[in-house]
Amino acid sequence: MHSGIVISQADGRPMYLQIIEQIRQRIAVGDWPPGKELPSIRELAVMLRVSVITVKRAYLELERDGIILTQQGKGSIVAPDPGLGAKLYDQELSRHIGRVAELGELLGLTPRELASRVREAADRMTKEYS
Amino acid sequence: MNGLSVHFEGVSKIYPHFTLDNLALELPTGTIMGLIGANGAGKSTTIRILMGLVHQDQGRVRVLGREMPREQAPAKLDIGYVSEDMRLYGSATLAWHMKFIRSIYPQWNQPYAETLLRRFDLKPQQRIKGLSHGQRVKAALLLALARRPRLLVLDEPTTGLDPVARQEVLAELMAVLADEDRTILFSSHNTLDVEQISDQITFIDRGRIIASDNKEMFLDRWRRLRLALLPGAVLPRLPGVVEVGGSGRLPILVTDRFDPAMVAVCNDAGATVQAVDPMTLEEIFVANVHSRREKQTV
Amino acid sequence: MNYAMVKRLILKDWYLQRWTILASVAGIVATLSIIATPGKVAFLIGLILLLMVIISIGAQMAVATIVTERKEQTLAFVMSLPISYREYTACKIWGNLLIFLVPWLTMVVGSCALLLLSPNSRGLLPYAVIMSTEILASTCLILAVALITESQGWTVAAIMAGNLAVNGIGYVVAHVAGIAKGMWGSTIQWSGAASALLLGEFTTIVLLLGVTSFVQSKKKDFL
Repeated sequence: MHSGIVISQADGRPMYLQIIEQIRQRIAVGDWPPGKELPSIRELAVMLRVSVITVKRAYLELERDGIILTQQGKGSIVAPDPGLGAKLYDQELSRHIGRVAELGELLGLTPRELASRVREAADRMTKEYS
Repeated sequence: MNGLSVHFEGVSKIYPHFTLDNLALELPTGTIMGLIGANGAGKSTTIRILMGLVHQDQGRVRVLGREMPREQAPAKLDIGYVSEDMRLYGSATLAWHMKFIRSIYPQWNQPYAETLLRRFDLKPQQRIKGLSHGQRVKAALLLALARRPRLLVLDEPTTGLDPVARQEVLAELMAVLADEDRTILFSSHNTLDVEQISDQITFIDRGRIIASDNKEMFLDRWRRLRLALLPGAVLPRLPGVVEVGGSGRLPILVTDRFDPAMVAVCNDAGATVQAVDPMTLEEIFVANVHSRREKQTV
Repeated sequence: MNYAMVKRLILKDWYLQRWTILASVAGIVATLSIIATPGKVAFLIGLILLLMVIISIGAQMAVATIVTERKEQTLAFVMSLPISYREYTACKIWGNLLIFLVPWLTMVVGSCALLLLSPNSRGLLPYAVIMSTEILASTCLILAVALITESQGWTVAAIMAGNLAVNGIGYVVAHVAGIAKGMWGSTIQWSGAASALLLGEFTTIVLLLGVTSFVQSKKKDFL
């Protein structure tokens, strides 16, 4: 089974974060539906050519966040939570908004200037998709 | 089956111009450890002691439960060893080497050997002396991998390989670990490879092990902090600062004991944190070595 | 001691040296036929050639399997096999001896046959046997030095020393009373001196190999 996950060392972020993010995306998009069995930690490590300990860390965090469930001795599955997709996207939005706020601060923008930039971007998106 | 595949306790070896000093090493079964060190740091000596090829002056070495060097013969039945300075017989073919190894090791797996021949793109009828460097390395690796040893000991396995060959070798090494009873120890200059596939990382410098840790924890603990000192502010004292660089108002700190709380401490002290950068294994290693050497000269 | 492994290692060395072994036997046979050719000059030249050929075979064999193995770094490959240094030493001592015995026996049997065939030269037989054993001893010396010193320089020195020794001893033995007397006759005159010399040579060989085994077993660094 091909996980379709790709890890890059050129990406500045730690490998375990890349794995977490790609798994979350697959779940959010519905590629990996609730209840689906994840590859075992070792299997995924071999597939990605990444250390077992890195995959283990990713799985532990995903489990901590309730995204996956690990059954003793039986491996992990995608948590069977119907609202999971939306929840994940919501979490991602919060994270991105947080980052936007940081950058705004670094650039010295006021909240109002920041908000108007966000609105511009949102308007552009609506136009593209309408 | 768990436990330690390799256990060094208080191992020392004295040469006229170099001393391996009080080495302690623990390699749990089912994991992969990367050994990083400069040239002449003692990586090869450590590996030779592990293989029983060099007898330690002090200390105890156990590999797969066997005392080394006394029990090296039975231990080596389960160990696959490939080192950068190892050569196969130039006048013989790869097929001859395969037959030779096969006659010695009952665990030789012929189907897997043939798979490796295809994956590594090697022709068994070729004479070793006609092979390029990369092909020779792959040939030696094939001979070690095809008998599925419980412990693989590799001294610079990807050095001198082209990028495609490197990925093939890394893939085969990881495939070894699919079996949780098999263990790998490899030394490498290539910190990217070590960073990618190792579970444990050990730094060795001038005959001493200067760090040995779980890779994720390693990468987590080290950070480079870029600060901007406000006028009149003084650099706060932070734990684990290994290096102070930058200039005047824009100091750059490297710490090996990073804690997110440090950001607040810095900001409060008037040293605005502009960036907290993670570091690559190579940067960590170089910083580690520099700081130790500086401490020694001071 | 894992005899199965020692046997495999010896067979490996035989396989890798197979052309050299064949060539050496061919060389001996060719040289013997020169000796067999009628005429005193052919006889002498043949003798000298024989000496040269057999000595260089012994030397080259020790160099090929021991010094070269270390230099070409195939030693690491051999030591990665499930053996200890005892098996390695045993393989080198016995393997090389056996490899050398092939041309050596060819030479001994061939030259004795030649000497027996022609009535004038039968008296040389004891001398031939003693000198052949002397060459065997010299080769064992080269073997011992190659294994113990692990150095090409010392081995070359041993080769030269062995060469000189054979020549020197050849001269001395030819003048020993018991042997010189019957050398140029047409009957084989085996004397007490000859037996003593032969015994001495065999003892030397056994000592050389014994010391080598002992010293090797005490080594701490094999690579």
